[in-house]
Amino acid sequence: MKPLLRRFASSPEGVAGALILLLLAFAAVLAPMILPGDPAAIVGRPLLPPFADASFPLGTDQLGRDVLTRLVYGSQASLTVGFSSAVVAIVVGTLVGTVAGLTGGLVDEGLMRVVDAFQIVPGFLLALAFVSVAGPSLAVIVLAIGLGAWTGPARLARAEVLSIRERDYVAAARVVGMHPAEIAFREVLPNALPPVLSLVSVIVAAAVLIEAALSFLGLGDPNSVTWGGMIAEGRNLLRSAPFLSIIPGLGLVSAVVGVYLFGEGLVEGLSIRGRRL
Amino acid sequence: MSISEISRRRLLGGTVILAGGALLPRFGFAQEVMQGGRLVVAADSEPRNLNPAIVASNGVFYIASKVIEPLAEASFDGPDGLAPRLATSWEGSEDGLSITFRLREGVAWHDGEPFTSADVAFSAMEVWKPLQNIGRSVLANLESVETPDEMTAVFKFSEPTPLQLIRNALPVVSSVLPRHLYEGTDIAANPANNAPVGTGPFVFAEHRPGEYYRLTRNESYWGEGQPKLDEVIFRVLPDRAGAAAALEAGEIQLAAFSQVPLSDLDRISGNSELEVVTKGYEALTYQLIVEINHRNEILNNLKVRQAIAHAIDRSFVVDTVFLGYAAEATGPVPKNAPEFYEPDVALYPFDVEKARSLLDEAGYPENDGGPRFSIRLLPAPFFSETRAMGDYLKQALAAIGIEAELVSNDAPGHLSAVYKDHDFDLSIGAAVFRGDPAISTTNLVQSGIPDGTFFSNQGGYANPGIDEIIAEALVTIDTQKRIELYNEFQKLVTEDLPLINVADWGFTSVASVDVENVGNNPRWVVSNWSDTAISG
Amino acid sequence: MHRAWRLTKRRLIASIPVLAIVILGTFLLMELAPGDAVDAYLVSLGGGDSGLAEDLRQSYGLDQSALSRLWLYVSSLARLDLGWSIIFNRPILDVVLERLPNTLWLMGSATALAFTLGSLLGIVAGARPGSALDRVLSIGSLTLYAVPGFWLGLVLILVFSVQLRWLPTSGIETIASGKAGIARALDIARHLVLPVASLGFIYLALFLRMMRAGMGEVWRQDFVLAAKAKGLSRWRIVVHHVARNALLPLVTMLGLQAATMLGGSVVIESVFAIPGFGRLAQEAVAGRDAPLLMAVIIVSAVLVIIVNLLVDIAYAWLDPRVGSSEVASK
Repeated sequence: MKPLLRRFASSPEGVAGALILLLLAFAAVLAPMILPGDPAAIVGRPLLPPFADASFPLGTDQLGRDVLTRLVYGSQASLTVGFSSAVVAIVVGTLVGTVAGLTGGLVDEGLMRVVDAFQIVPGFLLALAFVSVAGPSLAVIVLAIGLGAWTGPARLARAEVLSIRERDYVAAARVVGMHPAEIAFREVLPNALPPVLSLVSVIVAAAVLIEAALSFLGLGDPNSVTWGGMIAEGRNLLRSAPFLSIIPGLGLVSAVVGVYLFGEGLVEGLSIRGRRL
Repeated sequence: MSISEISRRRLLGGTVILAGGALLPRFGFAQEVMQGGRLVVAADSEPRNLNPAIVASNGVFYIASKVIEPLAEASFDGPDGLAPRLATSWEGSEDGLSITFRLREGVAWHDGEPFTSADVAFSAMEVWKPLQNIGRSVLANLESVETPDEMTAVFKFSEPTPLQLIRNALPVVSSVLPRHLYEGTDIAANPANNAPVGTGPFVFAEHRPGEYYRLTRNESYWGEGQPKLDEVIFRVLPDRAGAAAALEAGEIQLAAFSQVPLSDLDRISGNSELEVVTKGYEALTYQLIVEINHRNEILNNLKVRQAIAHAIDRSFVVDTVFLGYAAEATGPVPKNAPEFYEPDVALYPFDVEKARSLLDEAGYPENDGGPRFSIRLLPAPFFSETRAMGDYLKQALAAIGIEAELVSNDAPGHLSAVYKDHDFDLSIGAAVFRGDPAISTTNLVQSGIPDGTFFSNQGGYANPGIDEIIAEALVTIDTQKRIELYNEFQKLVTEDLPLINVADWGFTSVASVDVENVGNNPRWVVSNWSDTAISG
Repeated sequence: MHRAWRLTKRRLIASIPVLAIVILGTFLLMELAPGDAVDAYLVSLGGGDSGLAEDLRQSYGLDQSALSRLWLYVSSLARLDLGWSIIFNRPILDVVLERLPNTLWLMGSATALAFTLGSLLGIVAGARPGSALDRVLSIGSLTLYAVPGFWLGLVLILVFSVQLRWLPTSGIETIASGKAGIARALDIARHLVLPVASLGFIYLALFLRMMRAGMGEVWRQDFVLAAKAKGLSRWRIVVHHVARNALLPLVTMLGLQAATMLGGSVVIESVFAIPGFGRLAQEAVAGRDAPLLMAVIIVSAVLVIIVNLLVDIAYAWLDPRVGSSEVASK
């Protein structure tokens, strides 16, 4: 693991990304401690501009809710959506890919056709249909985004498994009579996982943006504050109160850029740059 | 029906011009009003059925009222608050069992056929009474329409029917269809429902789905020198921010129904090319209501409903949710219907302490730290104000220890959850007061309405006393007595709180200063625009 | 061309089971939806009694069992009949064919913009990896990628339509202008500038970063080292050796991006009020028009298959080393 860290540290993008992400994660985790207020609470005069009132440093929105509190809690919900979607996509994708790669034959064929099917349906359309059917809540949104994103990890995992399957240590395990499932989970999966993880950054960034687009179409979760939802709400006031969409927009941009740079550093660290889907 | 403007908490300064050429001719006689020109207006949705005789809703009227006309339209200064359209006079009999309409002579349908009393009789008996959402209840006792001659239609009722009610309902209910195109066909599936044929100042030209509706000038309109415009185009702009941008870029000349967000109006009113008009909605008063599911045992308790009513800060709602473009509501009839409005009702001033103690009394004590109880709150998605009210009410309820979970749906989802499946505890809804309580107000509390009837009492509320008054007022022809019954109705409703009235609002229009005669009648946006013109 | 035909045939056969899965999946999803099209239709009428609802359900076949409806649907699909749209009250095929061209123009132009500008800037960035210019371009394009499309679109409208009044705010062409031929084409092009820019700028970053990464790899390869040793100028090496070889993977990316672009057009078409395919999807959802939504998903799947096929043919043509069998199994 040490060379990985060192190589990661030598990539300035990776370090910058890691710093941005750390800062955001810090805000998300510490949100309840720094700002104990409820982000949905109506606390002041509506549409106060930023820096005008010390008790509302970033101003208030159209209902008089504190923008700073919403921004900080928004990082919680947005990052949760992003990372949970990625976890769903990676877990489902890796499982399907590993099973397909290990069993081969008809099962492999069948599973890969399912992967194909999900890949050719635009992910956003799928999310749109799924959320409108199941109703907008964070869990549904996470699932909907994950549904459209698991095909990449599945293909990559299968490719990795196919190449690992033939390696010596797997053959050795087979010789000592390990159960195929045990081989899969103890020998193959741990080795196939790292390249798959390099996809996390792309999925997280896309998930945060898809959530914003769903909010724009009125399919966001009304019980939680997300950056995407804040931007969507603020867009009608783009000229009267531009800060309402610009402030969460800055949060969104820094998260996406941070995740992307971090991912790049990771790829460099794992030196798997050359691999592609 | 007489009209007074909604009281406005906030003076809008000199920038708001009370348009209405009839009252305040802005350019005086020095400037000739232009003939011709094209008016492009924003439309935020595309109604599937454009037939106002079947679907009497404002979304349909907005477009179709320029093509298909009613017997009479609402008016600021006309007798009975009406201006004649296809009928020139109306008279009720002593016993309340018949109403005689004299019809306008020399009117032709857009396809050249003459307009006669047969069209009125057909529309009333075959369309308004059996098919129309409003007519089904207002005209329930209509037995027949007699046509002694081509220009007279006599409505015969089986029970005494107040002329006042029919008069007040005329602008909404009485859109006349051409009999020769509908008779003997499946009325609900007639192609003319999507390409309407009427007698109005504009002829339906085309609909490009997703783009626009185009109406062109009716050269042989009965109104002298009308219409002023050559063309009216309804441009489909689904996003609210898009409508404001198109107005400012000069691509459209009018956005109605508050399509430009209220919070943008201050800035817009600084634009010398645009004006903010609040007139033209006086007979389209929308009521922000909290609908209650009385099947829920907790909400069935009057003290709980009273507590919720006390928890709502109505002045905050008016100032923040509506930015002052609304009035606090006291009961089921809005203040701007003075004919029926009763101020002496049970009031629920904002009082958090009182609300808390009412909940204690009701047997739902504070639960150290935890909520007293939890409910599901469904804000209607129709307007951004109803959604914002959902956010506010959740907070207001939290302040008295009630936890509310917001459930968001799109329009069909909301309507089927509330009015069909009754799958809600509280809902934020929008009702329309249409000039008479019997048209679309009493049905919000009346019992015995079939499941699945939208915008009616679907909360399982039943109060025999209120039902009795509603039934009696429906057959009381003495105007004064009828008004007294509705005053009593308002008292009973506010005492028992089958629903909570929060605010009454009218919409705003933003128009180019070149558009003349904006808002010159109380239903202007959904009237025929025959005198609307473009200058300069 | 013979090879392209073989590739096409193989791809089309392979896509049959995939499409079958898409159809079945969409059908199942629609079965789970609460409220059907009749509910949504009654909403538009402002209410109706239960008798009317039953009659309508019967006329749309909604009263039959799920299995028999699926069979009915698949058998009509086989005849290229996409069914009857409930909200438009017209054959779905007509509606789709009416909307598709607008979206194809939007997607095609946005892809061309993202591809050309992205790869050009990628070359500039990759020419001197690690330089200040490289960093500015990388972060700048990432920032564009991270801006929600609807917000970028609104800002562009405010600047170029409202303030400068250079371009129309929305729509696909001037309303009832009576323009025809070239004048009409120019009018449509003017209306497409802002939506194409909004959609294209978002995906610019992906092409830019891929080009840059690809160039980084090519720099390390022998023939570039040889060229360097020969003392060729840096830009000559960049243009003749590095960029050309790094461009190829971007072509594959085009196919992968087709589905994403199609999804992105839903939002962009809504902001710019373009009557396109993406907005059709949204209208189908809002109107609970299950047959229409299914048709939209199936047609977009077919569209993605076709785009990928074209990309593969182009790839095989650009890179003769790739045999058709390799491409087909990729």
